[in-house]
Amino acid sequence: MLQIGVQTKNVVEDACPEEGFALLKCAGFSCVDFSLNGYLVNKEIYQSQINTFFDRPIRELETFFAPHKKAAQAAGIAINQMHMPYPNYVPGGSRELNDYLRDVVASKSMELCAFLGCPYIVVHGFKLARFLGSEEREWEQTERFLEFLAPMAREMGITVCIENLYDGIGGHMVEGPCCNAQKSAIRIDRLNEKYHAEILGFCFDTGHANLVGLDFERFLTTLGPRLKVLHIHDNDGVSDLHQIPFTFTKTRDNRPSTDWEGFVQGLRRIRYDGVLSFETAPVLSAFPDAMKQKTLVFLAEIGSYFSREIGR
Amino acid sequence: MNIICAPSGIMGIVHPAQGIQDMTKAGFENILLDLSSFCPPGDLETLESLEKWREKQKGTGKARLPFLFMPSNERCAAVAALLSRYHAAGLHTPAARAPWLWPDTKRTDQSGLLLSLTQESLLLCGEAGCETLIVKPLFSGLLREEEWAANREFYLSLLPAARENHVTILLENQCRDHDGHLIRGICSDSGEAAAWVDWLNEEAGEERFGFCMNVGTCSLCGQNMQDFARTLGSRIKAVILRDGNGQKEMSALPFTCTSHGQPQTDWLSLIRGLREIGFDGQLILDFVDTAKAFSPLLRPQLLQLAQATAEYFRWQIEMENVLRQHRRIVLFGAGNMCRNYMKCYGEKYPPMFTCDNNERLWGTEFCGLTVRPPESLKELPKDCVIFICNIYYREIEKQLKSMGIQNRIAFFNDEYMPSFYYDRLEGR
Repeated sequence: MLQIGVQTKNVVEDACPEEGFALLKCAGFSCVDFSLNGYLVNKEIYQSQINTFFDRPIRELETFFAPHKKAAQAAGIAINQMHMPYPNYVPGGSRELNDYLRDVVASKSMELCAFLGCPYIVVHGFKLARFLGSEEREWEQTERFLEFLAPMAREMGITVCIENLYDGIGGHMVEGPCCNAQKSAIRIDRLNEKYHAEILGFCFDTGHANLVGLDFERFLTTLGPRLKVLHIHDNDGVSDLHQIPFTFTKTRDNRPSTDWEGFVQGLRRIRYDGVLSFETAPVLSAFPDAMKQKTLVFLAEIGSYFSREIGR
Repeated sequence: MNIICAPSGIMGIVHPAQGIQDMTKAGFENILLDLSSFCPPGDLETLESLEKWREKQKGTGKARLPFLFMPSNERCAAVAALLSRYHAAGLHTPAARAPWLWPDTKRTDQSGLLLSLTQESLLLCGEAGCETLIVKPLFSGLLREEEWAANREFYLSLLPAARENHVTILLENQCRDHDGHLIRGICSDSGEAAAWVDWLNEEAGEERFGFCMNVGTCSLCGQNMQDFARTLGSRIKAVILRDGNGQKEMSALPFTCTSHGQPQTDWLSLIRGLREIGFDGQLILDFVDTAKAFSPLLRPQLLQLAQATAEYFRWQIEMENVLRQHRRIVLFGAGNMCRNYMKCYGEKYPPMFTCDNNERLWGTEFCGLTVRPPESLKELPKDCVIFICNIYYREIEKQLKSMGIQNRIAFFNDEYMPSFYYDRLEGR
């Protein structure tokens, strides 16, 4: 059986992390995706409204997260992956802002990832193709950022994972960074060879892939062993809703409009042995609090179903 | 670049006269020979055999035999009759489209049916003088691992007829219908599609296969069209230009599908891609849904707009060719559009100077150009072209003409530039 994970957002609270981790364990999860991005949210970054959370010295931040680490250990939950706050670059933002996002936020995120004993950290590539004129030139900027993280990643034994993203054109979602599996595979291999370590890997986001009509099976088999972590969630093919898999249908047959068979088949073909991690925090804010545990149990059961199917 | 108008929504095959008239009046010179209008996908889906069709028709009074069940010579005669009307009106048919099936077709016996219809289509192309025939790949009932083998056999079996009729067969990117959600299907992976075309051409020993990039399909799958075009490069012989909302299959006139004032198709990515590969093939405008939605009373005006839209795309894609044609140019305007010109084309096609109506700018430098008053345009050499770099195109053109300027006046546009102003993005 593969391990099942979920975001800490909307479950693990700073005031009493023990409660959240215990709830997750009880629901059937053995891993979490630590939502560090919840401490510096993207909307505020885009508006250059940066809170002071990451201003604290790293020791103070470690002290802040020590109870979380302890609670996870106590509950028997592994912190398998973490989401770095994003974006790490704001087009049109001041140099001061962008330097802060890289030098302070990204650096301290890496240190916190190591502190929490988390092997994977997910980052967003820069969305600059429209300005710079091509995806290649956009990647150059992302790669500069990854090169900044690489020595830390090697030193700390962390794999930084790039994620397939989308971009909006008049409300219609189109490919964003890292939507080309072939290119991603080549780039990951190149950087890993350069650093003689697995500093870079891939995070496949099912919801983002669904929005831009990616062929799940083809994408996953192209990535192969470079796939390290997952963001499993569902949507209607229109908006990035982060909902429970198998939720959306578009025909009278009421079969799921997201290609979960392709997802399972792809993971099976590459013999994926990582964590089946759900990125479904919005589900928990949609369901009443009183149903939180049952909702989590349901998600974990879907994870178990995927695991069984992949292992067949 | 050849602009071709698809007839669907504008005219039927039975009464095409008014549509032909509207099309020619709007300035279109080419029409797509759409053989799928004789044999619509709906018919292919439901018509199983002549016997079963006759059975169903009993007592309904509908006696007209479907095209599919006509004897081959009658089918050819029907197409020839339509062609003669096109040609009599001065409409050429450089491209054709073979009959095809819906992405969610339930038919699994497609290869035999489509093979015979496509063979016949090639024959008709030869008679119509079509250079290209768009033939969608087979997909229904095929397992992923069977796709290439089945299509390789299908396309190669078309080769003798293609050669005999001097037609290039164009493969086209497809969506896959996953329970109502349209996702990437066969030939949506541009790398794989390029490999298919190359293999077929190698097997043919000549360039007998190419690619037709369907913009609406790319958009439905949220694809990066710049990358798509770049990967396929010169294999792209035709582009089907159509707009859509990115969710459902439709063919709307470009720029008509919008949300909050923004287009829903990534035209920037498309234009950048086609410019990069120096696209000079067939630009097929397909706006069946827009045409059907408009009253027939408004069709003549709609077709004029459609023709202007296609010309606009041609102009944008060929932007650099336009600049290349002129040895000496000056710009009018010392603002952002001038800045964008200088950033993207200033080195390759350097203007002599720019001018502006704002007298405070006269004598200053802007992006390395001296800003002069409009009066200085009166002293230009005859072969120098003035490019207006300001959105008030017509107003400025009128001003220059009223000043008695005889030089050619052209428009520059920075909506779809190769890149945008990154220096300013960094907030310096």
